[in-house]
Amino acid sequence: MVVYSFYIFDRHTECIYSRIWARRDRPASGSGASTRPVSDSSSSSNPPITDLGPARARPARLSAQDDAKLIFGTIFSLRNMVRKLGGPEDSFISYRTGQYKLHYYETPTNIKFVMLTDTQTLNMRNVLHQIYVNLYVEFVVKNPLSPVEHPGGEGVANELFELALDQFVKGVL
Amino acid sequence: MVVYALIIINKAGGLIYQRDFAEGLNKLSINDYLVLAGTFHGVHAISTRLNPLHSSTARSSTDSRPEPPSGIEVLETENFRLQCFSTLTGTKFLLFTEPDQPNVDAIIRRIYELYADYVMKNPFYQIEMPIRCEVFDRRLGQYLRPLNSR
Amino acid sequence: MASSQPAKPPLIGQPSSAQRGSQPGLRYPASGKTIYHRPLNRSRTQELSQASFAYLFGEMVSYAQKRVTGIQDLEKRLNTQGHPIGLKLLDLLLYREPPRTQTRPLHIIALLQFITTILWKHLFSRPADALEKSSNPETPDEYMISDNEPLVNQYISVPKEMNQLNCAAFVAGIIEGVCDGSGFPARVTAHSVGKGEEGELWPGKTVFLVKFQPEVVEREAYLGRT
Repeated sequence: MVVYSFYIFDRHTECIYSRIWARRDRPASGSGASTRPVSDSSSSSNPPITDLGPARARPARLSAQDDAKLIFGTIFSLRNMVRKLGGPEDSFISYRTGQYKLHYYETPTNIKFVMLTDTQTLNMRNVLHQIYVNLYVEFVVKNPLSPVEHPGGEGVANELFELALDQFVKGVL
Repeated sequence: MVVYALIIINKAGGLIYQRDFAEGLNKLSINDYLVLAGTFHGVHAISTRLNPLHSSTARSSTDSRPEPPSGIEVLETENFRLQCFSTLTGTKFLLFTEPDQPNVDAIIRRIYELYADYVMKNPFYQIEMPIRCEVFDRRLGQYLRPLNSR
Repeated sequence: MASSQPAKPPLIGQPSSAQRGSQPGLRYPASGKTIYHRPLNRSRTQELSQASFAYLFGEMVSYAQKRVTGIQDLEKRLNTQGHPIGLKLLDLLLYREPPRTQTRPLHIIALLQFITTILWKHLFSRPADALEKSSNPETPDEYMISDNEPLVNQYISVPKEMNQLNCAAFVAGIIEGVCDGSGFPARVTAHSVGKGEEGELWPGKTVFLVKFQPEVVEREAYLGRT
C-alpha cells in the first residue's frame, strides 16, 4: 500500500492543503518498502522529472497547482453525477484507474479530503474521516492562531498538523 | 446480484446507448443522460492525466510502447458501483451494478462481445450513431435477465 | 487452410513486388496453385469463420442498398447476388454426391429435398427446419422452406422503417439459382414470419416461398401420370 498524495479542498473550492509523497522510482516488484517520503507541502515543487526522451511526446508534466485544480474538477463532476444517479443521499467513495486510486471524503461542512494511493489499497474512507476528526479538527480547527477560513491554505500547514499527518499516514501503511 | 443499467459512449463523448435493467438508480431525462455521458467522457480523460506515477519502466525500454495510462475503471459509491470498460478504439461501456457485485469484468466483456456481434456486424448500423438494433436489445436482455433474477 | 489460401497481397519491398507489374489484376501464390487447381472434394468439410462472413455479407447488403428505389428493389438485388451462387453450387454439390446418385433431381420433391438437406448442410451445416407444400388448392405450385434462424440474418437488425425487408433474400436467390439450374424455373422470395406466438421462440424465423413456373407444374403432372 502506497500513498501518493493528499489534498484538502475548502467549501470555496480552493485547495487549502496539498501534500505529495513523491517517489523517485517505481519499485520493480511493487513490494519494495522503498517509499521515501520526500515531504513538502508547498505547491512549487514537483516530483523530480527525469528527462523525457524527445521521441515521447507526452504532455508536459502539470504543476502541482494544476493537478489540484484538475482533481477538484474531477471529484466535483463525479460527486454531482453520483448524486444525480444514486439520489441526493448517495456519496462518491473512490475511483480507480489502472495506475492509481482516488479516495474521497466530504465532511458535513463541505470540506473535501482526497487521497491518491496505489490501486491495491482498500477503502480509505474511514482513514480520511480519522484525518478529519483527529488531525484537522484537533490541530487546525482548534488552533487559536488559525483563521476560520483558510485562503491560500493559510493556517492549515502548521507544524503540528504536518507532523501528525506524516506519522498517521506512515502508521496506516 | 443486480445490474442496474448500461451506458455506451462513443469516442467523441456522445451517448449512443442507454438501458435500465433493474430499479435502483434515478431515472434521468434523455438530455441529462447526454450531459452525463459528456461529463464522464471529460472526467475520464482528466483522470488519465492525474497519474501520480510517471512510469520509469516505460522510459527504460524505449523500443516498446508504454502502456497508455487508463482512465477511470471502477467508481464506487454508497449505492452503486460503476465499472467502465474502454475499448482500444475509445468506445466506453459503463455498467452500473450493486456495490458488491462480483465478476463485473466478465459481464462487461460479454456485453462488449454482444456489441461486436450484433451492432458492429449489422449492415444497417451507422458507426458512432445511436444504437437501434433489435437483436442487440434482445440478446442483452437474454444475457442480463437471468443474472439479475439470481 | 493456410497453405491453400489465395495470394496475399505482397508486402512492399518484398521480392514478389517485382512480379506484380507483369500480372495485373489476379495475383497468384508463389506455388502457382490457385483455388482452381484444388481438387473439388478437398474442401468439402472445411468451414469458414462466421465473423468474416458476417462482415462480408454486411458489406454486400450495404452495397446492394446503394441507389435502390425501395425494399423490393433491394431484395431483388440481394436475390441477384445469390443466383449465380446457386447455379454453381448445384454443379459442385452434385459432383460431390456418390457416383450412383450423381444425377440432377427430376421431380419437384426430389429437388426440394436436395435443397433442404444437401444444399442447406453445405451452406449452414444443418438441414432446413421444415419443407411444406402450400395447403391452398389454388396455388399448387407453391412450396415453403422454413428456417428458424437463418445464418445470414444472425447479426442483422432491420430498422423499423424497413420492416418488410428480409436479408435472407440472398439465400432465396441461391435457391432460385439451384431451381433454375436444374430445369425447374421458379421465383423464390424470403418472408419473415417471426411474429406472434411463434416469434417468442424464433424471432428470426424465415419462410422461403418457392413458386414454380406453370410449365414445371404441368410437366410434373404429366410425369406423375406415366
